[in-house]
Amino acid sequence: MKIRYLKIAFVAVVLLTLIFSASFFGCKKEEAAAGGGMQVKTYTNAADITIGFSLWTMQFTFFQNLEKGVKDACADFGFKYIMIDQNSDATKMVQDMNALVGQKVSGIVSTPVDPGAIGPAVENARNNGIPVVCADIGKSGPVNALLISDNFKGGQLAAEFLDGKIKDPAKQLAVGNCLPQWTYARQRGEGFLSKALELTYNVGANIIVQNPSAEGGYDTMQQILSAVPDVSGVFFVSGREAVGAAQAIQAAGKDIWVVGYNGDPEEFQAIKDGILDATILQEPYYIGYRSVEILKEILMDGKFYENVEVPVDVKLVTPENMDQIAADILEKTGNSAFPAE
Amino acid sequence: MDEMKFKRTKQNLGAFWGNFGLPLIFIIIVIVFSAANPSFATSYNLLSNLGFASYVGIAAIGMTFVIMTRNFDISIGSMLALVAVLGSSFIPRIGGVLGVISTILISCFLGFVNGIFVTKLRIPAFITTLGMLFIFRSLAYIYTNNVPVYISDRFWLYIGNGKLFGVLPFPILLMAVCYGAAYLLLRNSPVGRYIIAVGTNSRAAALSGINVDNIKILVFTLLGFFVGVASIVNSANLGAANPGLMGQNYEFQVITAVVLGGTALSGGNGSLGGSLVAALIVTFLGNGMGLMQVNSYWQLVATGLVMIFAVSLNKLKFYLLGQGEF
Repeated sequence: MKIRYLKIAFVAVVLLTLIFSASFFGCKKEEAAAGGGMQVKTYTNAADITIGFSLWTMQFTFFQNLEKGVKDACADFGFKYIMIDQNSDATKMVQDMNALVGQKVSGIVSTPVDPGAIGPAVENARNNGIPVVCADIGKSGPVNALLISDNFKGGQLAAEFLDGKIKDPAKQLAVGNCLPQWTYARQRGEGFLSKALELTYNVGANIIVQNPSAEGGYDTMQQILSAVPDVSGVFFVSGREAVGAAQAIQAAGKDIWVVGYNGDPEEFQAIKDGILDATILQEPYYIGYRSVEILKEILMDGKFYENVEVPVDVKLVTPENMDQIAADILEKTGNSAFPAE
Repeated sequence: MDEMKFKRTKQNLGAFWGNFGLPLIFIIIVIVFSAANPSFATSYNLLSNLGFASYVGIAAIGMTFVIMTRNFDISIGSMLALVAVLGSSFIPRIGGVLGVISTILISCFLGFVNGIFVTKLRIPAFITTLGMLFIFRSLAYIYTNNVPVYISDRFWLYIGNGKLFGVLPFPILLMAVCYGAAYLLLRNSPVGRYIIAVGTNSRAAALSGINVDNIKILVFTLLGFFVGVASIVNSANLGAANPGLMGQNYEFQVITAVVLGGTALSGGNGSLGGSLVAALIVTFLGNGMGLMQVNSYWQLVATGLVMIFAVSLNKLKFYLLGQGEF
């Protein structure tokens, strides 16, 4: 009996190995012949174009506004539009990208929950002649275009703002940074550090927020206060963390300038309440809209985009210009810049 | 006489539902989504979904064995992330083939450790694997400093993305082989009978000479093996092993598939075929609703409702068979 099972197992393993080897090495030849680059079908009629959008999550206002930009652009150009929500799940992100390929969409816009994990899915789409534009966050491997906020400039704006308020390079600054894998968001910290160095400030602490949330910002601010008790200004490279940090400063009864990044509703509210001093505003609506514009250029005008990084401008939001900026956001997106009541 | 006839009809219905209930639900889901969206029924989409179903389906085999012995393992999501980052980080030094083998060996070892804690230290499986959930995830963070490991090895990537002769996704074949081997183990080998005996009544099994602890350690190790295979498929799909994002809520997806598939939480009774069909239901349901642009929050509500409905129908089966109340 045992020998019979061993025989079955042996035959199964041999068959599996043969099939696998034949297929694996067969595939090698095919891919080598395909080479680099991609063939994109061009269209003359906008109504024939379908744009697929794979979105990180609809949970945050940033992504809601980005989605509005993609949707409005599709409506303006006369494209059909399909959106699939990744639900913050990297595996679902890949599954959704493949589903869009299966639906034979003409082009894909993606805001990847895990930019490091989107490479094979993008490759599959591009092998099927579907151009891919990443709208913010990042990418791995070649895409047609990546639209990304000018994060380095945003960091510099934050340092300039703190310098304008503190006006004394002898005072200490600090950074609440993001995790190393967020390659593009890390540029915010780099921009800040470079400008602070140029302005001859000393950055006494540069601590990574391990838990990206308001609580994480609160904890990190407490660590900064322990490391640099006389800190005068801090820059947190993400919005919710900045609000958490501002609350930690308030709880400690300190008078420290705080700048955030993103322009989240919580930040607008915190600036209004006088807890947060400023933030760097990203333009998600524009990023979404421009992503579709780029796909239009590829699909209808035959324009060549290969791994192009398109920087998107950022703005400083302070109590002085906050109302005007909030009004602009409301007009464009239909979403209030402030949290829903 | 009429009562006898009624009873027999009930039993026939129960037996029919037990054998064909879940496949029927699966077929209905496929028909409804195919009618609603022509893109759903394309061979590309169906094969792609079958491939993705392997992510849950492969680990569901091991979880079926574990639940059949009246245990649980809620550490598998963290285990998946840990073995993926470990195995993929070895690739530059030992190559893809040895990387795959070492990933599976490590995951077997982690499953074995879970089994030792549950059996030899008599710590309940829920507590042991809850603790391991934190330990495995933290070790993955510590080992990588929370930086994803990018995978470029062709062999490794082929396991998740390769297509046999350019058509059939390789994970489907892998899942089929795993289910075939597990079926032989469960139904045609003494070990399978021991697993069923331990789950049905571990005391009686011990009295009849079965080493209950060894069987429990074996099923945890087997679960580790299947999680290792799933981790390779998943990290190959993603092209990277991310210590924080991989395997989030994985344990619940796998346990859901196993329970939905008809494996009794009270042990003893389990169905590998049921777990497979349930994994397909969960995957195709998500894909179909996504293609139909159903709001993601409503998708979760619908998934929950379908699961409750399917489990209720499972109870109906036992009622019809005269093995319980409805």
